[in-house]
Amino acid sequence: MPRFATRVGNTLFVFVNVAFLLLICATMIIPLWNALAVSFSSNLASMQPGIQLWPRHFSLSGYRTIWSVLAIWKPFENSVIVTVVGTVLHVLLSALAGYALAQPRFPGRRALTVFILVTMMIPFEAIMIPVYVTMQQLGLLNTLAALILSGMVSGFSILLMRNFFLSIPGDILESARIDGAGHFRLFWRICLPLSKAGLATVTLFEFVGRWNDILSTILFVNDPSKYTLQVALNALVNSGDSMSSGELVTNNVKMAGIVIAILPLILVYPFVQKYFVKGIFLGSTKE
Amino acid sequence: MASTQTLSPRTSMTATTLRTQRAAKLKHAVPLYLMLLPAIAYFVIMTYYPLAHAVLISMQNFRFIGNRPFVGFQNYVDVLSDSEFWSSFANTSILGAGILVIGFVAPIVIALSLNEVLQSWLKRTIQMVIYIPHLFSWVVVGGLWIYMLTPDGGLVNTVLQVLHLPQVQFMTNPNLARWVLILVTVWKEVGFNCILYLAAIVGINPALYESARVDGATRWHEMWHVTIPMLRRTMKVVGLLSIMGLLRLFQQIYVMRNAVIEPKVDVLMTYVYDKGLQQMNIGQATASALLILLFTLLLTLITRRLVQYNEL
Amino acid sequence: MPSIRRILAVLSTSALTLTLIGCDNGSSSSSNSGADANEPTLTIASNVVGGKNPQEDQQFAAEIGQALHCKVNFIHIPTDYDQKLQAMLSSGQKLDVIYTTGPNLADMVQNGEVMDLQSKIQQSPVLGNPKVVPQWEWNDIRIPQTNGIYAVPVKYQGALMPIVRQDWMNELGLSQPKTLNDFYHIFQVFKEKKGVYGLTLSQLYDIEPFMSAVGLKNEYVMVNGKRTIPYATSEAVPVYEWLHKLYTDKLLDPNFVTNSTADERNEFLSGRVGMFVYWDAWVPMLNNLASTAGAASTFDAEALPGAVGPDGKVLVSKGDTSVWAIPKNAPHPDLAFKFLEWWNTEAGEVLGSLGVKGVDYTVSGGKYQLTEVGKAENMDHGDPQPISSEWKNPFPALQKGYAKAKSIGVQYGYQPTSLPGWTEAQKIVWQYGEEAVLGKLSAQEAVAEMHATLLQKHLVDE
Repeated sequence: MPRFATRVGNTLFVFVNVAFLLLICATMIIPLWNALAVSFSSNLASMQPGIQLWPRHFSLSGYRTIWSVLAIWKPFENSVIVTVVGTVLHVLLSALAGYALAQPRFPGRRALTVFILVTMMIPFEAIMIPVYVTMQQLGLLNTLAALILSGMVSGFSILLMRNFFLSIPGDILESARIDGAGHFRLFWRICLPLSKAGLATVTLFEFVGRWNDILSTILFVNDPSKYTLQVALNALVNSGDSMSSGELVTNNVKMAGIVIAILPLILVYPFVQKYFVKGIFLGSTKE
Repeated sequence: MASTQTLSPRTSMTATTLRTQRAAKLKHAVPLYLMLLPAIAYFVIMTYYPLAHAVLISMQNFRFIGNRPFVGFQNYVDVLSDSEFWSSFANTSILGAGILVIGFVAPIVIALSLNEVLQSWLKRTIQMVIYIPHLFSWVVVGGLWIYMLTPDGGLVNTVLQVLHLPQVQFMTNPNLARWVLILVTVWKEVGFNCILYLAAIVGINPALYESARVDGATRWHEMWHVTIPMLRRTMKVVGLLSIMGLLRLFQQIYVMRNAVIEPKVDVLMTYVYDKGLQQMNIGQATASALLILLFTLLLTLITRRLVQYNEL
Repeated sequence: MPSIRRILAVLSTSALTLTLIGCDNGSSSSSNSGADANEPTLTIASNVVGGKNPQEDQQFAAEIGQALHCKVNFIHIPTDYDQKLQAMLSSGQKLDVIYTTGPNLADMVQNGEVMDLQSKIQQSPVLGNPKVVPQWEWNDIRIPQTNGIYAVPVKYQGALMPIVRQDWMNELGLSQPKTLNDFYHIFQVFKEKKGVYGLTLSQLYDIEPFMSAVGLKNEYVMVNGKRTIPYATSEAVPVYEWLHKLYTDKLLDPNFVTNSTADERNEFLSGRVGMFVYWDAWVPMLNNLASTAGAASTFDAEALPGAVGPDGKVLVSKGDTSVWAIPKNAPHPDLAFKFLEWWNTEAGEVLGSLGVKGVDYTVSGGKYQLTEVGKAENMDHGDPQPISSEWKNPFPALQKGYAKAKSIGVQYGYQPTSLPGWTEAQKIVWQYGEEAVLGKLSAQEAVAEMHATLLQKHLVDE
């Protein structure tokens, strides 16, 4: 009897649990779904107020407009350069710093940790103008390098990486240390491979953040040939809503722009996610 | 200098050992400093140097062109004696507390519940879907929820109508609007923190589960006695991060506010925004932004006292 | 230690990439190519004026450069313009011409950051000619504190007025409304016959045509040297009550509190509402858009005057002027002024409205022809309706309804007095005003609290 009860209980639990998650997912699918539906609607139909879950008057004119008005490849190329180079550097440098801070006790560790933590509390608005001035002094205005440099490390990522390194079992490190491995070797050969889930997390966050960034491009770049995809789309899609003039951008064009902007992220996501799964095997087959 | 020369041999020997010990320690630490160097250099150039500049601006009668007279703490005095600043402060505290509590629990619940899903394809799909709102800007998400909640044609009110429930004016009732802002914020960012917990769960040593199972633990017990304790460090980090971001709440308010609810939802960062970009008062805007930094520092210090962040 | 070397290799390669990417620093933005190396460079910072994409911006800059015989660095920031402008100016970056709007201009004048152009304008054969820029335009942007003129308007600013589906009015046999009751009647018929809301608003941004019924102006009015806000006086009560009645009778779009102006336009274009309040320049744009977007073939938007006031007068409010100004530290102030003049000549007006020759339009035998791109961009490149009375849009068929709309603005329009503190005051007016419309407070209570709050915050003097 009790065994039967637990089995029923288990099935019920699994059912309720999955239903709960699917309900949450349903609300989260809505923005993407709505954007897709509107982007494939005709100009006029897309202007109907409210949430749209199915294209009204199916039409490609939203995408056609973007395609004809915007030469998309140059901004796309810029976005890829800035995002990929920026993310690789960011993850590597943050991991290095995170590894150092994960070491037990060395002179200045506490002070350096506080030094890094404080940077996370500074509102960007407070230092926006000074950062612009700094970029100017470095002669980096109007370069992609400025976009790569801004946010090249962050306290957030350092803290995360440090946290992942801390969860590596001490005996693995100890045995490597006995074999005479130095810090760089430990970092590169032992800690990084054991923190794939962590690296995947930080990579994902940074990649998405950089891909979606608009403000730093607007601030640091004047030359339209160095615009990133987000800025080019944003200028096209969100301009002209000011005062007494401005063209009307129909909603299907806006949503087509949004879909184009996030499509690469959705395509990249599964590859990053694989590392979470890989992490499971790594954890179980520790050498 | 003279005293060192007259030291007895014994003390000088201890001093040397201490010195060599310290030297060894430093030598051991050199690679660590090298590893930290790029990050520290970055923060010095791109954060602290601009921050020092910002402190200077906050003490100026700032003009774009021409001289900028030094006015000492006048900008701070003006901001601190502005009732609007304090009502924004109160709103920030209320909204922040809501987001902090709900936003802390929600991703843990979802991560744990996701961990109980056995089909890995389902798990992966759900994990991805939960992250989707994070990919959209607040302009898109804010606009979408305003549509969802409108009294005329909004999805939520349509559902209420079908269920014969009374219609609700979400965005024109200040108290409801606060809840809307809290929940929409949690909704948008839950996938982000959820991934942190999932990554941490992935990192848990499977041997722990095996030994628990040998002891006859049910899945419920496993979750309660293995998974959750192993997530404690992540919880601390996520909690600390949310607290540090608390006073910088801005985008969602800016996108979703309207005149009726503004007195109840305007936050410190909207104050900074209004001062700086609408009234072009850069001095006061910078001063108020630096005050936010100061409050955040205090808040973080208090939190670290209350919660034992011994390893941080 | 192979691993150290590998890390160092990665780091140094990345550093190299950085410097390489950083190296091509030379090219300036949107410069017109092929210009003489000795020519000066005119730097313009613009928000709404310009092309619709990076290539068009380059062509836009090239046209200006050809006309003025200079290189043009055209910095076009369609979104987040204020952040960028503030950062550029604060860093000491030298700009020759900046785009800005009324309230910001006043702040910049107060800080002594822009040049007084008054005498130059008076001597200018273009700008000094009242046919090109009429005197009242100058009066609107004159800064009272210094009695100087620090800018040149970018376009004819126009006024906010009711825009109605004239085709429905005709179909249903409705005539031009004069009183609030007339307006109410129209909304009611729209609702019964068309199944739509009569009116939509975007917050209380655009209720002036109805406040006109009681003769109240928007923003500040100086009475005996004291600041008053007419919307916060008991005279405004009947209008709030009328709006509340519209709301309870479901004639007013209940989403008005959260509507953006884009939402209003969308609802109007897609036939979900019969009337909204918007800019005169949008009447022809709405008509053109309706035909390209596939709205009802009968679609006909037309402007109406506001309700007639007690003294028989109608009021509609004009917008904050958008202007070009020259910073005090501009490296080429004379060239900058030449640009401001040129902007108000026919060539400049064509660029600001139709767009770039060969891209947006073609000319053959003196006849203009819009290209596909030009049609899509709706003859708006920042200056859809130039000020000059000598300007004639070459496509009268695409100006449907504009003549009437403009005449309403010219006849009844006034420039609201926007004193410092208005942004803060407006929040309070809107908050209580909207609570009155929604019926959370009675109109009397709302106005009383509105006024008390404004007094307490020293935003009005009595």
